[in-house]
Amino acid sequence: MSELDVVVADARERLVRRARREGLETVGYRVVDSPLGPLWVAVGPRGLLNIHYGAEPSPLELRRIVRAYGPGVLPDARRVDDVARELDQYWSGKRRDFDITVDLSPLTPFQRKVLAATARVPYGELITYAKVAHNVGNDRAYRAAAGAIGDNPIPIVVPCHRVVASDGTLGGYAGGLDAKRRLLQLERGAVPPGGWQPAHLSRS
Amino acid sequence: MTHPATFGELLEQHEREIFAYALRLVGDRDDADDVYQDTFLAAFRAWPPPRRGNERAWLYKIATNKAIDRGRRAKRFVRLGDLPLAAPERDGVSLADLATAVKALPTGQRAAFVLRKVQGLSYAEVSVALECSEDAARSRVAEAMKKVKEAMR
Repeated sequence: MSELDVVVADARERLVRRARREGLETVGYRVVDSPLGPLWVAVGPRGLLNIHYGAEPSPLELRRIVRAYGPGVLPDARRVDDVARELDQYWSGKRRDFDITVDLSPLTPFQRKVLAATARVPYGELITYAKVAHNVGNDRAYRAAAGAIGDNPIPIVVPCHRVVASDGTLGGYAGGLDAKRRLLQLERGAVPPGGWQPAHLSRS
Repeated sequence: MTHPATFGELLEQHEREIFAYALRLVGDRDDADDVYQDTFLAAFRAWPPPRRGNERAWLYKIATNKAIDRGRRAKRFVRLGDLPLAAPERDGVSLADLATAVKALPTGQRAAFVLRKVQGLSYAEVSVALECSEDAARSRVAEAMKKVKEAMR
């Protein structure tokens, strides 16, 4: 880091504080390291908005955030500290539930309902896409539920990796199936070849 | 350079050069920090940038005006001690000599000189930043160059 970088980083911190003090709505972001690679994390005035696999935000998520909170999406390391700490605890096996508030308000009511149902699946347990659809009161909305889960803006914390296909195979995952497998390994131990069989699935 | 979708992207793309520019204009780290703050807060409030693809010149325009405003309110004397932060010494020209020569320029010429010769903006961008025609931008830079060269002799 050059001296200019240090001076500018310092100036930026003051800028972010001043913008908030002057009532300009801001969302803070930073890239957090994880065993699954870099994660782009954004926290808004009402809580955690986005965890994206990669060092850059997803254009779709960014549009959603800007629509909800305006263009003040700023690099702000401190704002993300609590999330980063809880994620570290999760990776090291010391945390099973997240205490941070999540903000799903930029999503549609149906997406919110599906993700709220997903968030209720306990650590280490599995549920099928069909069961999530059932839990939100719409058995036939299986595909829509799977779509909402696939579109989850807050993976890991809203544990969509715990949702698998009805035949016990892993289904899909925004961070890639390898990431899903590793998350489930962290929570449940080794994945049997071909995935878990339906008999092992949670009935919750 | 991609079109910024958010204020943060704009900030990340341009904050270093705007800070360096402010430093070159006002010559003092604390004042440069103030110009940086004023510039980006004004950009934030004015979002979105007026014309796609012109964000950089737009920021330079705001920064130039903020630096001039600040210069009007503050002391005439500028300390250029922080200049090495922003400009590496080159070609045997003493930085102190150059700094002194640039410092001696009237504000408009100094801004034109720094925008074109140090920040590397095109004349079209300089004209947007200084709210003048391209011809006027060229003549201000030429005039500034002449003075700087004379001073460096």
